[in-house]
Amino acid sequence: MLLDFHQTEKILSKYKIPFAKSFLAKNTNEAIKNAKEIGYPVVLKVVSGDILHRTEIGAVLNDIRNEKELKTGFLKIEKSIKKNAPKAKIEGILVQEQKSGMQIIIGAKIDEVFGSVLMFGLGGIFVEAFKDVSFRLAPVTQKDAKEMIKEIRGFKILTGFRGQKKANLRKIEEIILKASLLIMEENIKEFDLNPIITNEKGAWACDAKIIL
Amino acid sequence: MKYKSIFSPKNIALIGASDRLGSVGRGLVKNLSEGSLRRKIYLVNPFKNSILGKKSYPNIGAIKNKIDLAIIAVPAKIVLKIAGECIQKKVGGMIIISAGFAETGKDGKAMQEKIKKLIQEKNIPMVGPNCLGIIRPPSRLNASFAPATPKSGEIAFISQSGALIDSMIDMSLDENYGFSAIISYGNEADLSLTDYLEWAASDKKTKVIALYIEGIKNGRKFFEIAKKIKKPIVALKGGKSDLTKKTVFLHTGALMGQKEIFSAAFQQAGIFEVNSLEELFDTAKILCWQPKIKNGIGVVTNGGGAGVLTADYCQEMKINLPLLSPLTLKSLDKSKTMHPAYSKNNPLDIIGDALSERYQTAIEAVLGQNNIHGLIVIQTLQIMTEPVKNAKIIINAKKNWPKKAVVSVFMGESQKTKKAISLLEKNRIPNYTDPLRAVKSIKRLIIK
Repeated sequence: MLLDFHQTEKILSKYKIPFAKSFLAKNTNEAIKNAKEIGYPVVLKVVSGDILHRTEIGAVLNDIRNEKELKTGFLKIEKSIKKNAPKAKIEGILVQEQKSGMQIIIGAKIDEVFGSVLMFGLGGIFVEAFKDVSFRLAPVTQKDAKEMIKEIRGFKILTGFRGQKKANLRKIEEIILKASLLIMEENIKEFDLNPIITNEKGAWACDAKIIL
Repeated sequence: MKYKSIFSPKNIALIGASDRLGSVGRGLVKNLSEGSLRRKIYLVNPFKNSILGKKSYPNIGAIKNKIDLAIIAVPAKIVLKIAGECIQKKVGGMIIISAGFAETGKDGKAMQEKIKKLIQEKNIPMVGPNCLGIIRPPSRLNASFAPATPKSGEIAFISQSGALIDSMIDMSLDENYGFSAIISYGNEADLSLTDYLEWAASDKKTKVIALYIEGIKNGRKFFEIAKKIKKPIVALKGGKSDLTKKTVFLHTGALMGQKEIFSAAFQQAGIFEVNSLEELFDTAKILCWQPKIKNGIGVVTNGGGAGVLTADYCQEMKINLPLLSPLTLKSLDKSKTMHPAYSKNNPLDIIGDALSERYQTAIEAVLGQNNIHGLIVIQTLQIMTEPVKNAKIIINAKKNWPKKAVVSVFMGESQKTKKAISLLEKNRIPNYTDPLRAVKSIKRLIIK
């Protein structure tokens, strides 16, 4: 069973896993109020356990810069859901602070042979294209976390390769250690923090899915 | 020592002994009799008075002496009854060779559970069922139906597959490494992989543990135990492709196949993972014979190509090839034995016409350099090459630098080369006929 947004948020905050500032809005008025609090630009994305691939149906909009764009965007997402996923149960539309940087993924699951296992890798579209990930059994030490990060083939990309923003390796390490604690302590089957966006200032999960 | 009655029995009873050609029972009689000077072997077969000239007993109860180890090789359906008789006889341990249990399905599994319950109530350790048996070459105990007894040595080979053991033994007869123990663990009804691991870790004859595994029953326990073991463990995992693809929901689940998780667990537990049988024993051999070293390898070669390949592999595997120091070069130049066109580099190419004297100068100079902790000596056979003389020089050099690792790559299969290789390996210098195998192996010695 996939946890809903509020339950997910609660677990992440229990383990102090940084999450990009987000509010779940039911209507445009709530969205406008939330966006003001966060500050533009923001991201809009639908939250629904029934819609796993949001980008494909146009249910994610990046770089919303003002109230006008927000209103249009909100309605656009609503419309596309009605058209593409009319039966989906919608929790709301998330207004999220827009972070820029490298996308990574951190996840964990309970393996039937070895128990809790952690994963780290390049996130976003890279996850599926390159499968550039590393694994460790949980719990991990800080040394393990460091190795997990260095082990991936694309490690160089995280170090500010050709003008890209540098990832914050220390913050990533911290999140790996927190994820390790989470999978050891909570009674869950699997979770993904994908993407986590990281730049020199930090690393923030922008999306999380937890399966009980 | 734990499981003494299994690994060092004084009196053995073989139930299901046979003289029928091609039978498992006959194979066991033959293998066990190899150690008959060291222990008593009692044969049990209710239909025979004697087997291959030896007395046969109708049942284990008819044997007067105490029995340490009972080996059972009878049809599956009577194993439970026989196990009961062995318990009555108060045997110290059992090996059940017979197949036809959990590996065949529900009924077999139920039979196995009954036997397990019976022996565990009495706390009698049991190997198998559905296994090849165990072999202890150092004490000439061959309680298996393997085709031969392998050489004695320092590798404990623990394998889920019995047939692979057969082939490995066959292959190893011409090799110079040997085994402290070979264990075919079968269905693990009682003793399991982790028990054998702990046993091998405490066994004085074992220096390196080599594993062939397909599945692991309790991965976490395996991981925790392996992590604590100080002896090197080398593992080959079979069955890496995920046949049971499950429906996956999240990326993590989709990307975590059995292969990846096993590899992560091996790495984290400090187990050396290998990808082939050849690599399993290449690795086990070097870990038995050579010390752990810091990163920094020297290469001496009489062939340019072999040196270039070696350098490529070293670079790929992040092995440092330190530059030869001015001091090293000076001693090479001063020797007057170098060819004018020698490479002055690491790999140190001493040119095809190198005789043993030149090898000696080069090997001593390179091993003398402080930041070089290991040496690969390559010999391509050319018309003037002196393999046996070269081998002796390498063996001597190793004696002078016992803390440095020395590996040879004598490339070839000619009688001349083979004789030199055998000499090298008898003196614990591992030889590999391909530079790739040598580089992969020496990499395992490097302390991270």
